[in-house]
Amino acid sequence: MTNHYNDLMNSDCILMMGANPAECHPISFKWVMKAKGKGGKILSVDPRYTRSSSKADLYVPMRSGTDIAILGGMIKYIMDNNLYFEEYVKNYTNASFLVNPDYDFDPEKGLFSGFQKESEADFAVFGYYDRDTWTFQMDDDGIPKKDPTLQDPNCVYQLMKKHFERYTLDRVSETSGSPKDKLEEFYKMYSETGAPDKAGTIMYAMGWTQHTVGAQIIRTMAMIQLLLGNVGMAGGGVNALRGTSNVQGSTDQALLFHIIPAYMPTPRANLPTLDDYNATTPTTNDPKSANWWQNRPKYIASLLKAMYPDADPKDSYNWMPKLDEGQNASWLVLFDHMHQGKFKGFFAWGMNPAASGANASKTREALSKLDWMVSVNVFDNETASFWKGPDVDPGRVKTEVFVLPPAVFCEKEGSVSNSGRWIQWRYQGPKPPGQCVRDGDIMLELFSRVRALYEKDGGVFPEPILNLNQKDIAKEGKQFPERFDVQKVAKLMSGYDVNTGKQVANFTQLKDDGSTACGNWLHSGAWTEDGNMMARRDKDQTDMQANIGLFPNWSFAWPVNRRVLYNRASVDQDGQPYAPDKAVIKWDGDKWVGDVPDGGWPPSERHPFIMRPEGFGQFFGPGMADGPFPEHYESMECPFEEQPFSKQLHSPTALFFEEELEKHAVCDPRHPFVGTSYRVCEHWQTGIMTRWVPWLLETMPQNIAEIDPELGRLREIKSGDRVIVENLRGQIECIAIVTPRLQPLKTMGQTLHQVGTTWHFGWVHPKDGGDSANLLTPSVGDPNTFIPETKTFMVNIRKK
Amino acid sequence: MKLGRREFIKLSATATAVTAFAGLGMNLQPTTAKAQLLKIHWAKETTSICCYCSVGCGVLVHTDKSSTGRCINIEGDPDHPINEGALCAKGAALYQVAENENRITKVLYRAPYTDKYVEAPWGWALQRIAEKVKEARDETFVQQNANGQVVNRTDGIAHVGSAEIENEENWYLQAMQRAMGLVYIEHQARI
Amino acid sequence: MGKGFFIDLTKCTACRGCQVACKQWHKLPAEDTYNWGSYQNPEDLSFITYKLVRMEEYEENGKVKDWLFFPDQCRHCISPPCKMVGDMDDEQAILQEYETGTVMFTGRTKNLFPDEIRQSCPYDIPREDEDSGVISKCDMCFDRVINGMLPACVLACPTGSMHFGDLEDIKAMAEERLAEVKQIYPDAVLGDPNAVRVIYLFHRRPSDYYHSAVASLHGPRRFTRKEAFARLFRNNRPRV
Repeated sequence: MTNHYNDLMNSDCILMMGANPAECHPISFKWVMKAKGKGGKILSVDPRYTRSSSKADLYVPMRSGTDIAILGGMIKYIMDNNLYFEEYVKNYTNASFLVNPDYDFDPEKGLFSGFQKESEADFAVFGYYDRDTWTFQMDDDGIPKKDPTLQDPNCVYQLMKKHFERYTLDRVSETSGSPKDKLEEFYKMYSETGAPDKAGTIMYAMGWTQHTVGAQIIRTMAMIQLLLGNVGMAGGGVNALRGTSNVQGSTDQALLFHIIPAYMPTPRANLPTLDDYNATTPTTNDPKSANWWQNRPKYIASLLKAMYPDADPKDSYNWMPKLDEGQNASWLVLFDHMHQGKFKGFFAWGMNPAASGANASKTREALSKLDWMVSVNVFDNETASFWKGPDVDPGRVKTEVFVLPPAVFCEKEGSVSNSGRWIQWRYQGPKPPGQCVRDGDIMLELFSRVRALYEKDGGVFPEPILNLNQKDIAKEGKQFPERFDVQKVAKLMSGYDVNTGKQVANFTQLKDDGSTACGNWLHSGAWTEDGNMMARRDKDQTDMQANIGLFPNWSFAWPVNRRVLYNRASVDQDGQPYAPDKAVIKWDGDKWVGDVPDGGWPPSERHPFIMRPEGFGQFFGPGMADGPFPEHYESMECPFEEQPFSKQLHSPTALFFEEELEKHAVCDPRHPFVGTSYRVCEHWQTGIMTRWVPWLLETMPQNIAEIDPELGRLREIKSGDRVIVENLRGQIECIAIVTPRLQPLKTMGQTLHQVGTTWHFGWVHPKDGGDSANLLTPSVGDPNTFIPETKTFMVNIRKK
Repeated sequence: MKLGRREFIKLSATATAVTAFAGLGMNLQPTTAKAQLLKIHWAKETTSICCYCSVGCGVLVHTDKSSTGRCINIEGDPDHPINEGALCAKGAALYQVAENENRITKVLYRAPYTDKYVEAPWGWALQRIAEKVKEARDETFVQQNANGQVVNRTDGIAHVGSAEIENEENWYLQAMQRAMGLVYIEHQARI
Repeated sequence: MGKGFFIDLTKCTACRGCQVACKQWHKLPAEDTYNWGSYQNPEDLSFITYKLVRMEEYEENGKVKDWLFFPDQCRHCISPPCKMVGDMDDEQAILQEYETGTVMFTGRTKNLFPDEIRQSCPYDIPREDEDSGVISKCDMCFDRVINGMLPACVLACPTGSMHFGDLEDIKAMAEERLAEVKQIYPDAVLGDPNAVRVIYLFHRRPSDYYHSAVASLHGPRRFTRKEAFARLFRNNRPRV
């Protein structure tokens, strides 16, 4: 989230799309209802009328996977009717930048310039983009050329206008199935936040990310937010409601193949030395661009020093494992490689991939190709016990399985980061029962034993193992399971001066010469010489802070306790707030007051988007894999062979596995319904931590399949019937809920039905609950994020 | 017949003593009724953050100080600025995450081609995993890739997780897996 | 005057925090449910389920217009009919506490006729445990309330749907909010505000939420002949 949960109350218009916050982030609704109580409008755009929709001023039905069409229509509406916030667009975005004249988009083919074809089907081509033409024209100083009048045909604004010309109300409605009058009402209500003193916000979640066009859906909305001047404002921003209590933190700590802690890229084979790595540091020639990433060499040196305290960062850089250039080791690829038998060992730490990942049966098969697997989980789950799953003969499964019992949240101390980037401290209540041990101690003891083996027997390339930081991790004189020192690790993550041992105040004190150690520069300042800032429980605030619900002395927010990101965009060139009634920051003549500003420079001395090299919000996004502008493509499984925007049916750059393509249903009469998966309030993720909780299982005891009444009549299904939802990959049993909250949609001249089901269940428990919805979802993914497309797929439904 | 508080407690105390679900805790002597009625007054109170979604609601955890040392109540923290004491169905059920007879409380081991788990001591299990890690690492370690570039990575072990553990644990988890050379490191954020 | 609840149904999102928080505080066991084709599980109140969020889809012209959520519970009537009926058999079975107004079912409800007690309730709240014969329902979290804490369900409510306080203040709050809501929903009404301590604000017709949402839906209830006879020959019930 650029903003945070309490801040929702400041919004004049809240769009819930790709999210169902009343059910999946229920307490966020406290602040949604506060906004509504103050006259804010609530909009819900969703394939189903949900508990969130029930509180909305406007509900718009849609076909799953058509978000770019709908939002692209809004961009056109805003531009056609001049509803954008002109001063903001001109000063704070790249709308005025002149683009390379060789850049092009072919509206008939649906492809951008630079496309390199790798394979072809009747309805689409697949390949990748050579992005050479997706660049800006530079002046003599190496700064992008601009046309402040936004009239140049090659300026971003004009190119964008041209691009979205095709997103007419008729075409959008035909594609999405949303009624035209509802769409128009939606566009009108949301566009009203283009007024300088109004702010609209978006609450989205996996309803947007889990598509082959997921990243571009979010970009389309970010563009709307920039057009309307909503980024940086109280009650505005782009707000991802993340799924798990510490998924923000685990992302920040980079439990991901492509990054190392705090969003630095993973070292690659083509960058053999630290100097090579640092040579890729983002640069700018514009003195008014802060280009915050120019500080990256300090952060990587401090990270290396945190991992390997006794080595020069230049040396310890060599100990970091390196990916090949262009290598993709993301989730779907990982399980594909596991399926090919490429791994000997596997750790599933606090995860249940046999139910959570797309194409779960492939994942389950893959687990049987391992020599050994370690599962760390509070309850039995489909991953740990895959070897005794449905249709599996344990006598044929070689995988050696270790199941390790961890402590639960209230049995241990440490910090977790919410979506609003608040890093909050937990204390220990009860001690873990039985043999349960906190995860940190399991790791530490395991690694200590690996280290001991290398010390004793030697082995391949032992240096990183023998030199990994131990002094900042383990308690002196303590043994397993009480050795992991969570407070020391927290201090290491916040950072200290190697010579003095003093905690740094924040990341501006970090150095690139190995004289500071900092495990995560975004955590810097979370534990200073004044103590643990994450554990603060002080509700002191100034009147200005109280006015917008800022609690600067409660916990710690990254970065540097900033609560609203890009807040320099909420003020004009003189530092005065565009929305004085809900000012985030304000220049009082010699300093900023309110929130921690995005850098302390006086007004207009720096461009507001400090994390971008140029310093501007990006309508034209040259860093995307699938186009600098968003474009509507159908999901990899869809009910049509053609779509009205272009000849390109699917995302031309989607991640897929050739050998699985034959299992994809496109316009397949055997699987005529659009399937979608989601969560309900009463369960969570794969259900491991809720299916085993009797009070929650009581409230939602079996998986459900929701269908509209017309489909119910068609298939002779009534509410309460046991049904089978199936496709080419698998089938699941559900209890039918036939409800007018779903309606058939008129799309492309057809009447389409949607089938919704949760992914909360699995065969382990309860026995009559049904299995995972991910048995139905395909292993295809977004070309930018590689997140699987689990929100749209084709199914059939029938009575059992 | 209307009752004052004192008589009321006395009467209901006698009465509920026989019920199957004396959830009120009213089977106590009436003289000290007010303090004793509230079981959490005698517990250790700690603050924590809900382990389900990412809103980050504050909770109060009440732990029995006397005998079991176990959790007796978890409810919303009224001082917390985000939830102000509120909890959804999942948050309200947190007590049963900790106090749940279905929890795995022993190390379990399943040998190849067998059809059951057996209990194992921590030391044995961790030592065996450590040996397996070393074996797999030493066998599959790639010092140079096909292009002759130095990569120093372990291609034969993959890791997923976890958005469900604390930042400090996660930081160490990534450090340790990277020190062991892993590059196939993924978790919930990708799905 | 005692205590009271105001439950503003325009704000309820059916997160069911209240339903589970009630179970948590009282440590009531979970029911072994089977989904009956609805989000509303368990289907009904029971001896071990004091609070239940009922859900009804509200349609106009075949299109869903609203999804009504109704966190149902004992209303703690000012003059509780259940107590009047119960007192005929055992004056200590159902108690009414003076300061808070809590209507409390004790273990001695096993001396009462469960059907009679349930039918005496205009809101169809009390439920019997068939094994013990004891009858139960919401106890207003009396232990929390006398210690200055909010009832578990009210504390759990995120959206501002549930409120608790002195009945006088609660009634004023309900009236004030009703006036606001009426501007959008002209048919909005408070449920029996002068007869109960748990005052609901219904923004649609109460019967759209549940058949026993307000007392007037059924009118005053009389004993049937059969019940009157049963009462005469009831001596098979032991007394404490």
